[in-house]
Amino acid sequence: MSLLSVKNLNLSIHGVPILKGLDFEVQPGEVFGIVGESGSGKSMTALAAMGLLPEGAVASGTAHLEGIDLLSTPEAQMCGLRGNRIAMIFQEPMTALNPVKTIGDQVAETLVIHGRASKAEALKIAREKLDRVGLPAARFPLDRYPHELSGGQRQRVVIAQAIALRPQLLIADEPTTALDVTTQAQILKLLKSLVNEEGMALILITHDLAVVSDIADHVAVMKLGEIVETGTTVDIFRNMQHPYTKQLFAASSHVPERVADAKDAPILEVVNAVRTYAMPREKLFRKPPRFKAVNDVSFTLFQGENLGLVGESGCGKSTLTRAILGLDALDSGQIRLFGQSVTPAMPNTLRAGVQVVFQDPYGSFNPRWKVERLVAEPFHLMVEKPADSRARVAEALDSVGMKPADMGKYIHEFSGGQRQRIAIARALILRPDLIVLDEAVSALDVSIRAQILDLLADLSDRLNLSYLFISHDLSVVRAITDRVLVMKAGQIVESGDTEDVFTNPQHAYTRELLAATPRLPDNAVA
Amino acid sequence: MLRFASIRLVSLSLSLLAASIVIFAVVEVIPGDPASYMLGMNAQEDTVAALREQLGLEGSIVTRYFTWVTGMLQGDFGTSYTYRVPVSELILARIWISLPLAVYALALSTIIAFPVGLIAAAQRGKATDTGIMAATQLGVAVPNFWFAMFLVVIFAIKLRWFSAGGFPGWDEGFWLSIKSLTLPAIALALPQASILARIMRSSILDTLDQDYIRTARAKGLTRRQAITRHALRNAMIPVLTIIGMQFSFLLAGAIIIENVFFLPGLGRLIFQGITQRDLIVVESVVMLLVFAVITVTFLVDLAYAAVDPRLRRR
Repeated sequence: MSLLSVKNLNLSIHGVPILKGLDFEVQPGEVFGIVGESGSGKSMTALAAMGLLPEGAVASGTAHLEGIDLLSTPEAQMCGLRGNRIAMIFQEPMTALNPVKTIGDQVAETLVIHGRASKAEALKIAREKLDRVGLPAARFPLDRYPHELSGGQRQRVVIAQAIALRPQLLIADEPTTALDVTTQAQILKLLKSLVNEEGMALILITHDLAVVSDIADHVAVMKLGEIVETGTTVDIFRNMQHPYTKQLFAASSHVPERVADAKDAPILEVVNAVRTYAMPREKLFRKPPRFKAVNDVSFTLFQGENLGLVGESGCGKSTLTRAILGLDALDSGQIRLFGQSVTPAMPNTLRAGVQVVFQDPYGSFNPRWKVERLVAEPFHLMVEKPADSRARVAEALDSVGMKPADMGKYIHEFSGGQRQRIAIARALILRPDLIVLDEAVSALDVSIRAQILDLLADLSDRLNLSYLFISHDLSVVRAITDRVLVMKAGQIVESGDTEDVFTNPQHAYTRELLAATPRLPDNAVA
Repeated sequence: MLRFASIRLVSLSLSLLAASIVIFAVVEVIPGDPASYMLGMNAQEDTVAALREQLGLEGSIVTRYFTWVTGMLQGDFGTSYTYRVPVSELILARIWISLPLAVYALALSTIIAFPVGLIAAAQRGKATDTGIMAATQLGVAVPNFWFAMFLVVIFAIKLRWFSAGGFPGWDEGFWLSIKSLTLPAIALALPQASILARIMRSSILDTLDQDYIRTARAKGLTRRQAITRHALRNAMIPVLTIIGMQFSFLLAGAIIIENVFFLPGLGRLIFQGITQRDLIVVESVVMLLVFAVITVTFLVDLAYAAVDPRLRRR
């Protein structure tokens, strides 16, 4: 008998249909993957099963957990089931824990709230559970607070809370999306071992086909509120039926076509760059110790070259980027753009030569400006605003595949992918030689990401642009760069031609990164 | 925690020092010489000079500043120019009205605001919430002296439960004094309670949108448990800030209410001091209020650290 049996699940929020007739079954002790892009209804499916739908949501159909229909169970009884027989973990570990309570209290709470243990017993069990998820007592005593832990460690605490009562079903909604690849690999391994050893079933919701192919027994592919294809993981990847599944697969491993034609002329030279930050004082009247965020980094970027910079969070990528953009000063060393020194005081004309596209297509625009003004903004770096500024905005929009008529619209009228195109248009408007792409495709769905990568490749060929492509995502860096730098703890630990580094990594850290990256099965057929 | 407290203490002492310099400097530049004010328009120049000497107004600014500060540190606030009695006596007589009044009003404001804000947040969008929001909007908009007059008309004149003003003195009995402070305290508390309730409501609603509340619900907590066990303590952080600011305001800002109820408090003292060019009284009372504000700020800082573990290690 299935553990969870969902039949004809329909959901609408304020009258807008979100889920349309979902049917799926989850067997005890299996990993069931739900894959889809944003807006496909993956998370709402999970929240419907948990009975935690937002206000205004109306669900119909059934979702039986061993005979109990989760959709028609009253709220009071659902509280008894949640955390007890069905548990859930979420995407964002940094904010998933209450900042003012200790991790011990928060794990113990699951037991206390369900009346399974006294406070003292609950704390003892909490200790065992934290040990179980890889947080040993020596380094992670119960009285630690969430802010003292890293993202991966916090996600482990969230998992410990969820498994404290050994639920039959654990739902994990993008549990590793916010984490670095090596941390992601560890968390996925932990989840897999929990399924094997505790006999739990796991519903793993993700946008990442590679993650699912690694760990799931069954997969359901969702698009716009419907399951378009479902089956065993092996079958799905061997023999994709639905065009959308094929499209997702193709987009996930998409490599844009481009011509590598780096010239010998250096554009950007970074020489022994060092940037430190003051840490909290240890003694009141002693100088605070300094943390070396960027530690003796040197590299050169040539004209027409696409250079990748990879590394995990905290490795110093962002600090280095800020220095290259002339937003922060270096402690020592030098950055030269076209031979001129880059500092916060550098002239605007030099600044105009390097433009940037950031990660978040939602936060990087002023919502009260129209697109014309947003794209034309870099003109203030020029001595005089060009007379044909409108025509140049139209040209820039055209080159990124947007219509000149979009000039009169506000940014909220566009999707994430369109916004990123507008951000690229803004970067292009001054016809710079170098564009810094700081995680520029990380927040995008795979099919949109593939389009943007194509666009970037096309632009670099056509306009002879150079890119400094900063990302934590190795597959993307592999797809678009000629040369790659691997950064760890403020230092470049390996550099070389992208294909060489990926096929024959020299440094142990590069090997670790590559091994941790989830991969689509080699024998998959689209 | 001890480290946190001592660092805050050092920084607050420095603020106190800075405040004393500013207060002294500002009072120095106010036009109007107390000596000529006291002696009238036709006073002889040498009489005025003699009085200035007597009042300690001669000498360089720096010496006078240090005399003033060292005096205060020893509890000597100087002698009032107009009343010819030690300022400390004037303050002492009045602080036993102003301080209890402020504490009383703050207690009322908090007691009203907490449950009201909590209920409004729990009932977001429903009739209760709308009603509370309308009532608190009114409370914020209507000035406290209007409440004061309204209370006097109803409870003193119509119902005759309370007297319309005045203060009998603590010697006349604790409850009698408390009774005479009740109407002023309510008048002071109503606008403050309205503000605090609104802050409380929005602060709880903000925390209810946080991811950790969703985590708590996924663990099986009911909505109410999620509020009491997780939202409340986090929501207290902005609320504490407002409570600290309100206490300072209530201590110093009760001038109008003290006048409406004929209470001889600090507010009236400072008002009289200004009109009579009794600068030494003004300086001392303002300094005392600054001291009170800084002490309250320090206590609020400690309360922050008690609530929020992230602050303790800084």
